[in-house]
Amino acid sequence: MGLVGESGTARDRLAAIVGSLYVADAPPALAIDGVPPRFVVRPADAEQVSGLLALARDEGWAVIPRGSGTALGLGNPPARADLLIDLTRLHRVVEYEPADVTVSVEAGISLEELDRGLGKHAQFLPLDPPGWRARTIGGVLSANASGPLRTRYGTARDMLLGVRFVQADGTVTWGGARVVKSVTGYDVPKLMVGALGTLGIIVEATLRLHPQPEAEGSWLSWFDSVEAAQGFLLAVQASTIQPACVEILDAGALAVLDEAPAPCAVAVSIASVPAAVRAQGELLDRLAARENGVTTRAREGFWDAYDASTAGALAAGMVVRTECLPTSIASTLRALESIARAASLRSRVSGCGPSGSLRAFLEGDCPADSWRDRVVHALREQLAPQGGSAIVERCSPALKATLDVWGAADPESFALMRRIKQEFDPSGVLNPGRFVGRL
Amino acid sequence: MVLTPAFVAELARIVGPDGLVTTPEGRLTYEADMHTFYKAAPDVVVLPQTTAQAVELVRLCRRERVAMIPRGSGTGLIGGATAPYGGVMVATTRMNRILEIDLPNRCAVVQPGLINLWLTNAIRDQGYFFAPDPSSQMVSSIGGNASTNAGGPHCLKYGITVNHILGLELVTGMGELVRLGGKVQSRPGYDLTGVTVGSEGTFGLITAVTVRLLHTPEGVKTALAAFSSIDEASEAVSAIIAAGITPAALEMLDEIVTRAINQGVGAGYPENARAVLLIELDGPLAEIEVQARRVSDICQEHRALEIRIARDEAERTLLWKGRKEAAGVFGRVTRNWLLQDAVVPRSKLPAIMREMAAISARHGIRVANVFHAGDGNLHPLILYDERQPGERERAVGVNEELLAACIAMGGSVTGEHGVGLDKAKNLPKQYRPADLGFMARLRRVFDPDSLMNPGKLLPSHPACGEAFQASRPTQIPEGAWV
Repeated sequence: MGLVGESGTARDRLAAIVGSLYVADAPPALAIDGVPPRFVVRPADAEQVSGLLALARDEGWAVIPRGSGTALGLGNPPARADLLIDLTRLHRVVEYEPADVTVSVEAGISLEELDRGLGKHAQFLPLDPPGWRARTIGGVLSANASGPLRTRYGTARDMLLGVRFVQADGTVTWGGARVVKSVTGYDVPKLMVGALGTLGIIVEATLRLHPQPEAEGSWLSWFDSVEAAQGFLLAVQASTIQPACVEILDAGALAVLDEAPAPCAVAVSIASVPAAVRAQGELLDRLAARENGVTTRAREGFWDAYDASTAGALAAGMVVRTECLPTSIASTLRALESIARAASLRSRVSGCGPSGSLRAFLEGDCPADSWRDRVVHALREQLAPQGGSAIVERCSPALKATLDVWGAADPESFALMRRIKQEFDPSGVLNPGRFVGRL
Repeated sequence: MVLTPAFVAELARIVGPDGLVTTPEGRLTYEADMHTFYKAAPDVVVLPQTTAQAVELVRLCRRERVAMIPRGSGTGLIGGATAPYGGVMVATTRMNRILEIDLPNRCAVVQPGLINLWLTNAIRDQGYFFAPDPSSQMVSSIGGNASTNAGGPHCLKYGITVNHILGLELVTGMGELVRLGGKVQSRPGYDLTGVTVGSEGTFGLITAVTVRLLHTPEGVKTALAAFSSIDEASEAVSAIIAAGITPAALEMLDEIVTRAINQGVGAGYPENARAVLLIELDGPLAEIEVQARRVSDICQEHRALEIRIARDEAERTLLWKGRKEAAGVFGRVTRNWLLQDAVVPRSKLPAIMREMAAISARHGIRVANVFHAGDGNLHPLILYDERQPGERERAVGVNEELLAACIAMGGSVTGEHGVGLDKAKNLPKQYRPADLGFMARLRRVFDPDSLMNPGKLLPSHPACGEAFQASRPTQIPEGAWV
């Protein structure tokens, strides 16, 4: 230790792989949950990522992959952090034949850049997690991040057809296919979605695209109670309306957006041909009226404002995402409200109705034990009977120290997850400690 | 593999005496799936009725190191539900109940042996359906659909089976009972549900399935477009997809197939056409009106001979009946056939169809086509007569050249049928050793002793494919579905 051996210093060995321009000491601002990595490296391609991981394995280093950095706050604090691998230089479009309605891209491409290319051919990738424009596809897939469009188009697992990733030992691996339909071998892409980079670093993705709809119309329906809003949600689901987005917003979320005050509102977007947008909009209005709701056209730019308010809140304060059944939306909203009040926190809640995925943005001073017991555990208790969960998407390292941000997986399926992690990353190179059960 | 009487007695204790098939005649029923080329009867068949019995069975077999082969309705086309190493076949026939229907949350929990169509039948009146619709859906089981990640005509719009599975109850090869996923759509951790769907019984026994249900669309329009060449029909398909229209289904049938269907089930497909497209649009009425006009225009631009739109449900049913029962009428056109399930990128459809014609002509072997054109998922039926010297070899040549052409175009070995015994040998054509190594290691996580459906899905086992092919002719029976 301390001597420069024949292979040089750690920095030299990194530079030998990516070039000295692309190795730097990690600045303190890049600390993850208070854990600072030693180096930040910016590889140019899959081969360099492979070289970096092989080196990391040999050196016993812990590696943290990074796209835009948007979701680096997701997960438990890293057990160790040596190398931050910034993937934004991998941003090429590998293959795009519009007539296939699929695209293959490198992991570091931003969704905005991708969207620009696809838009020229009236196609798009319907993944719109908060702040989506700046985010990279690799990060979005790894975090399994989604946004309002999931109501119609599903989540990353429904779009990822093929994936190239680098395993913890540096092996470059491909799973899935470049075509829209393939059952050749195991569906490896499913395993990489939402794995937070703990099984491999995604370097390339083949994605199913969708044609851009010809017309889009958005409406906001205001309700006197969360129960009425839920009634409307379920009525929409039980109708022939095919909405693109159905987001539910509580009073706080409406206030942030400068919308008219109400206990609860539901924003619906419908995308189709103009006549069908009109017809479904009229039906929406009737369904809302049955719950004594008032419906108006959403103002121009509503969805961008909604995205900005969510993205902004995810970059500060405390955020808990709850997953519940659509029929439990109202009771979950009520629980969030009373839990926040009991912990003396200000809260606002919004999220996707049909998938039962809500985000609570919390502000205020919260002692660690109160955070753990009165907020997170209380929520988990409320949601457990239906198989729901409460994931802490963001909070300070001090608050994180008190709990597992993911909640406990059931022991049997966790045993499988642990064996998978053991099999593919036995020495804990990739994002150690960050995933479910601190895998 | 010879099973001891004590072991068989133990099986009987678990499933009851009427849940056991041990006689040679009885076991013969289970020697093959719809790919009857692969015949290998299990030593014994068990028919559990509960999850608890399934757990006990796996634990017993693991203790005794006996292979297990899960089986649903046996309608697979890949030799997946066969027992090349003998062992215990676990048929889910008696686990066929609907456990829960939860329409407000648009999901249901069913046992694996439930017939696909029975689920939709149970909820249709309330305005819901289960989207995956393999052509075998009136007889195939949902557990089998999940195991093979089955497709079907309507997965063009709705996605394949995995897009409709929210959760699984699985007894792993280690005998653990795990509940993966569930009615709540997202949960923390790896997507074990997603990766288990399509694992063809190699991870364990599926004992319950939580599925997503969809609301019936407001309207549906089914059209038939006839063309004077496969080329024009293929160009029309690519043009429809490129125009940003996603039909619910977009199927192609060539002349050999339409004639056989007309004779077999009297579907009334045009007799003068070289290729027919079956196009279904569904969704809001106003939307499908507009789309139907565009599809019709595109077909006209590609010189369609005729465009016929079903006027009512009876006409629609008839158009689909021909398609769904297509494979069943092949006995009329050929003695033997090889079936492929390769996929090409949609833009390559015209090119691969031209290539197919060239390969077919070069070998002097006819190829019939009935397939999911909108997905680029081919189902070429390579026709031959085993009694004619050399014909079988030429048919195999067509099969291999065609598969190579599909893969060279960026395609995939199998789009919906799965790998099973039949296609395991082809995986190295699509994946490199590192990719296959990853899959093999994943399999061991679930089944470290390689007891679950050995010899299937991955090419590591000697029993895959060739060993069988030397001696037996290939035949898919009347009544199979593709």
